[in-house]
Amino acid sequence: MATASETTLVTTHNESGTKWWTRFLDPSERTLAVLLLMPAALLLTLIIVYPVCRLIWTSFQNLSLTSGVPATFAGLENYTLVLEDPVFWETTWNTVLITLITVPGALLVGLALALMANLPFNVKWPVRLSLLIPWALPLSFAGLIFAWFFHSEYGVVNDVLRRLGIEGVIWFNSANWAFAAICLTIIWKTSSFMALIILAGLQTIPRSLYEAADVDGAGRLRQFFEITLPLLKPAIVVALIFRTITALQTFDIPFTMTRGGPGTSTSTLAMYIHQNTVDFLDLGYGSALAVVMFALSMGVTAVYLRMIRAKG
Amino acid sequence: MTLKRTMTLLLAGAAVTLSASVAMAQTNLRVFVSSQHRPDVWRKAFDMYEAKNANVKVMIETGGNTSEQQAQYLNTVMTAKDSSLDIMILDVIRPAQYAAAGWTVPFNDVLGSDAASAMKRYLPAYAEANTVDGKVVALPAFADAMFLYYRKDLLEKHGIQPPQTWDELAAAAKKVADAEKDPNLQGLSFQGKAIEGAVCTFLLPYWSMGKQLVSDGKLSFDKEAAVKSLKLWKDFVDQGVAKKNIAEVATDDTRKEFQAGNVLFAVNWSYAWGQFQGAESAVKNKVGVVKLPAVQGGQPASCLGGWEWGVSAYSNNKTEAQKFVQYLSSPEISEFMAINAALLPQFPEVYTDADVTKAVPWFANAKPVVETAKARPVTPRYNEVSEIIRTTVNGVLAGQSTPEEGATQMEGRLRRVLR
Repeated sequence: MATASETTLVTTHNESGTKWWTRFLDPSERTLAVLLLMPAALLLTLIIVYPVCRLIWTSFQNLSLTSGVPATFAGLENYTLVLEDPVFWETTWNTVLITLITVPGALLVGLALALMANLPFNVKWPVRLSLLIPWALPLSFAGLIFAWFFHSEYGVVNDVLRRLGIEGVIWFNSANWAFAAICLTIIWKTSSFMALIILAGLQTIPRSLYEAADVDGAGRLRQFFEITLPLLKPAIVVALIFRTITALQTFDIPFTMTRGGPGTSTSTLAMYIHQNTVDFLDLGYGSALAVVMFALSMGVTAVYLRMIRAKG
Repeated sequence: MTLKRTMTLLLAGAAVTLSASVAMAQTNLRVFVSSQHRPDVWRKAFDMYEAKNANVKVMIETGGNTSEQQAQYLNTVMTAKDSSLDIMILDVIRPAQYAAAGWTVPFNDVLGSDAASAMKRYLPAYAEANTVDGKVVALPAFADAMFLYYRKDLLEKHGIQPPQTWDELAAAAKKVADAEKDPNLQGLSFQGKAIEGAVCTFLLPYWSMGKQLVSDGKLSFDKEAAVKSLKLWKDFVDQGVAKKNIAEVATDDTRKEFQAGNVLFAVNWSYAWGQFQGAESAVKNKVGVVKLPAVQGGQPASCLGGWEWGVSAYSNNKTEAQKFVQYLSSPEISEFMAINAALLPQFPEVYTDADVTKAVPWFANAKPVVETAKARPVTPRYNEVSEIIRTTVNGVLAGQSTPEEGATQMEGRLRRVLR
């Protein structure tokens, strides 16, 4: 009864056209939707839209804090410089290579780990805990820990090799070995994330499918390729999208392991952006690099989204 | 109930306001001190100031353990225009850059009408490093330079004099290695990792050949000297005088390995001396220190180090901060830090002070080295210059490129930065 009378009151006000805000007291579905979305939209504008616009604007400026002169409009100058910069191409290539190696690598290792964790053990928590730990470890910690593992004199990797009678290498003294060490570390660090998502996917597959396959006489291998893998596809695609995007932004592990060395041979695009903005304080050039990286990530995401839509 | 609560809140509010107004009369200064330069001893110097100036409270902030990490932190604070830091200690290569970015306040007003003559009290290199276009942008905190440390006991045992040239050093290292037959003993340790120290590694022989990297603000790169310098270090590795993974070695690795007794000769800054004489050192009383060797036919050269006090442009207490920095950059504090923290003085007369020579006798020999040490290029774009040099040195030592290729790359990249 009370609600009904309130509604009447509000309607009366509206008809007399005095208080504009009163319609918020009994919003239509549309107004309610806008109202409820407003906080999220405002927050996103503040922390994403504004910084991205500002970044794009800065990328068209000559803005270097070390120059001592105020910012001037530069047009496309920063972008021309980016395209002519050999270090930009080198770091971009390194980033792409890291993505191409570590994403499939982490997928394979993660899949194997997930299948192992899904085995009907009596005690499940040790397996699951060991899956969670690499995932929960901060990236830079992982980088620092593995930098010690791969240290040519004090590291555990060369020590194990030596005990096996193999002469170890000076990992960070060679571009290829340093790159391999970084990729191994990234795969170790990220395959548990893959495994967690795939494990969640595995648990949604009904037992009954396997029981039916058993009855029909399908072997374990056949079951894996005909049941497990097709039903895991959505989980795998989600894991791949997340992993690819973070792989394109690789920063922490190479930064803490090699600082991009020897020379600039293990430097990534994200590290080069950081170097130009934070170390060299060349905000204009750094922003142009960041816009290029942003475009690269957007492109890859678009490809994935199209793949999902095609599947759907 | 509600009335009581309101009263409590009001009282609490009044208390906060009162204590705030008490705090108004007091100035809080927050000082960033590099963790590798004895913040514990600086704290004592700060306490002495607080005792004389009751209205000033000084807080120490410290972090990072290399010059690069500290610069990264300070760059972030300064780009955010953060007012929480009032004073910061800066590596000698940075005051010019911070001044160009407008991050520090010049001292000219507080130094009086003739700032240039006030700066004459310091060693000339520091007066120069802290003056940009006639503006005094920071005041020297302490001096530093690179030295050659050597194992006095081993050289005496094999009848060898401390080397005057790098060739003599290589010969001496081989002689000792052949006689000692100790696989853990390295002939020479220096900095090959892509850190700030590797810039000095490159410049030491380059300067020793009488060449400059920058003259009158313009690049004066001598490619032949650059190739020779890179080749000198690479040859040490190839001949087994330095260890194979020298490209992994940072400044403090050199210090630790020498301290553990595994190194015959080491290139390092003055801070290493105090550590070598410490209780945990395997080489206590077995260490000699001399000026760095020269290239054949050249002059010995050392890299100028040292740190400077700058006052943040975003500080809310600039006047008090400048007064405090003037106190910190005085001969009295220089003497105090020399005696208690073994930091080299920025004033020439402190080296010969009786109390200083008693506490750190080798400072008397250090003075000519500091006086002739050369400054790395003073340019606002120093970080880029540094990055180019250290990654090249690192790449050449790791065998990624030859000394010739390295020098060519370095020249090309430096030309783009120092047009």
